[in-house]
Amino acid sequence: MNNKMMSVLFASGNESKLNELTLHRTTASLPFGGRYRLIDFALSNLVNSNITRIGIITRNNYSSLMDHIRMGRDWDLNRKNSGIAVFPPFVLNTAREVYKGKIEAIYTILDFIKRAPEDYVVVSNCNVAANIDIVKVLNTHIEKKADVTVLCHKAKVNSSLRVVITENTEGFISDLHFEETPSEEDKLISLNIYVLRKDLLIEYVENAYSRGHVDFEKDILFKEVENGRLYAYKVEGYAAIVDDVKTYYAESMRLLERCVREELFGSEAKIYTKVKDSVPTVYGKNCKVTNSLIADGCVINGTVENSILFRNVRIQEGAVVKNSIIMEDGVVMENSTLAYAITDKNVTIRENRQISGFLTYPIVIVKNKVV
Amino acid sequence: MFSRKECVAMLLAGGQGTRLGVLTQKVAKPAVPFGGKYRIIDFTLSNTINSGIDTIGVLTQYQPFELNQYIGNGQPWDLDRLNGGAFVLPPYQKAKSGEWYKGTANAIYQNIDFVDRYNPEYVLILSGDHIYKMDYSRMLAFHKLSNADCTIAVINVPIEEASRFGIMNTRPDGRIYEFEEKPKNPKSTKASMGIYIFTWEKLKKYLILDEEDKNSSNDFGKNIIPAMLEAGERMFAYEFSGYWKDVGTISSLWEANMDLLDASSEINLKNKDWKIYARNAAEPPHFIGEKASLINSVISEGANIDGKVENSIIFTGVTIEEGSRVTNSIIMPDAHIKKGAVVDHAIVGWNTVIGEGSVIGEPQDGPVGGEWKIAVMPPDTVFGSGTIVKAGEMAGGK
Repeated sequence: MNNKMMSVLFASGNESKLNELTLHRTTASLPFGGRYRLIDFALSNLVNSNITRIGIITRNNYSSLMDHIRMGRDWDLNRKNSGIAVFPPFVLNTAREVYKGKIEAIYTILDFIKRAPEDYVVVSNCNVAANIDIVKVLNTHIEKKADVTVLCHKAKVNSSLRVVITENTEGFISDLHFEETPSEEDKLISLNIYVLRKDLLIEYVENAYSRGHVDFEKDILFKEVENGRLYAYKVEGYAAIVDDVKTYYAESMRLLERCVREELFGSEAKIYTKVKDSVPTVYGKNCKVTNSLIADGCVINGTVENSILFRNVRIQEGAVVKNSIIMEDGVVMENSTLAYAITDKNVTIRENRQISGFLTYPIVIVKNKVV
Repeated sequence: MFSRKECVAMLLAGGQGTRLGVLTQKVAKPAVPFGGKYRIIDFTLSNTINSGIDTIGVLTQYQPFELNQYIGNGQPWDLDRLNGGAFVLPPYQKAKSGEWYKGTANAIYQNIDFVDRYNPEYVLILSGDHIYKMDYSRMLAFHKLSNADCTIAVINVPIEEASRFGIMNTRPDGRIYEFEEKPKNPKSTKASMGIYIFTWEKLKKYLILDEEDKNSSNDFGKNIIPAMLEAGERMFAYEFSGYWKDVGTISSLWEANMDLLDASSEINLKNKDWKIYARNAAEPPHFIGEKASLINSVISEGANIDGKVENSIIFTGVTIEEGSRVTNSIIMPDAHIKKGAVVDHAIVGWNTVIGEGSVIGEPQDGPVGGEWKIAVMPPDTVFGSGTIVKAGEMAGGK
């Protein structure tokens, strides 16, 4: 045993619920937090935990992801003996279509997993924004002699499909089930990040595949519960599962809280992203900006409140932006007002426009549109 | 084997920059932060790669550690190449002797072997202490067209300032017939920018001759250029127009930073065709708090602003607490301005903490005798509450 880890990431999932935001991209490449894409959190957590052999399984719309990751240099993953391997949709000769679930997806890259020298594997979705020390997770996994460690956090169930965990007094999982109805109280919710021994993963997947199973959670984990060796590892601090427009908006806005930013960005474990060499942001003579998170390259001459501005956004004189998220290269022209809106990349709001959504229903303006 | 390069750049980054005082006590001048997220050397390195020159030797000597680490393998400037790239060249021990770089010319002399590996036709000599954007490939084209042995980039300066520079007196075709270092009565306004292109075989000859002269101070301006003129070599002045600023003094460093706030200034960093690259700090976007107010300022990633900021340059990772006021100032990376502090016409060094209620610098109407009275706080220092530093003073540190 060498106690080293590799990782398998799923770049896709939940695209249907993210609607317009994933029209042209995978969930993994969804812009988040002013200068990141969701996958940056997964990749940075792995790299900060010395995990450098990472396979990324894509399904569709993966060109934006390839453009973002390139050779992985921005995460220090341009390694000689490990690094990033991106797997475009792969069709087995025996199958007839692109994989249906995680089990099939892992099955198609079993060679990659078997050849790797690491003993452990981190299997993860790319829709979680959190700062997690995975070395700690592995140590707990080994100490508890768990078969699978399931990372989870305490949160309310919202309208998206969540895997809810019931644990016993030793922290092992006694029940796993799906929930989709919003809950009042906090529950233990799976982040869909798993740590397990590689040979065990191979055994699970080969078994399940041969029986025609597709769903990793339902067909493998739910069944393993009865063996009592699934351990629930609780992630402390901010952790966001982003899988629909409403949670995307709500979780983004939580970044305006100082303690949340501290939990996500404040530690020595940095979150890395693609370097774009933008210039610092310029604030004009008549701007008014409060409680906002603002990336490099912006030029701000109007009013910005409670908002998140990505790189190279321009807010012209007299424009007012409130409670909104403006992605890269967005322009809000003179005397326009924008509230409770998410504008995708390169959206232009022309002069004197009034656009407003609502707190529980932010309006989304799709990529490259001129309003 | 190394494949041939038409032109190799040699960047002189060994200078101490004594006039920057506490800012260059532990780092060389080219490594001093500039413009919110850059360092002074980023401009020259970016110009080089943007001009299509991908092989550059960076000559370091004074406090090289920070600079060596910053340049690393040259990747942020796209200078991590299989053939060529960025190389940090400190002085080294040779078979017979080993010595420090005695002067700018000697620094190149000691690295003749490095240049020869690429067998270039031309060598571009640069210095790492100016803020400007320049396409060296145009200068190289001019050098070739003039069939020159040496081309010196010049910029027109006001006649009343000409006596502070090295002045080139030229014929109408640009050929230099005379070079005067800081002339009392300047005959022309063409000031040397300290940027030279030499035909390498010629330069090598003069470097070797110069090295043999025991009385030489081994300097380009004092020795090599005059010697080549004397010998009647073909020397031309290449006129550059545009933004160019020597940031060798506190006042000029402050002014050059402030130029970034002036929309009419020619130093436009937003030009996508001529990006200035820098090593990235992996910081989150900056945050502007509920109580903050911002006027005409530049703010970089990772900063947290809760105070009042006006006409200032705020670098990466800076914290400005509630109730403090920063005006006409430069706050370098990771500095921390505590509650109620007032900072005006000042430069605060990196990682420095300014205690609560401190008063750093004073308001000013304009420069006196061409110089602004800027208060300077050293890097890596903690100043307690109520620290007072007057206009133009340089705080000494611990």
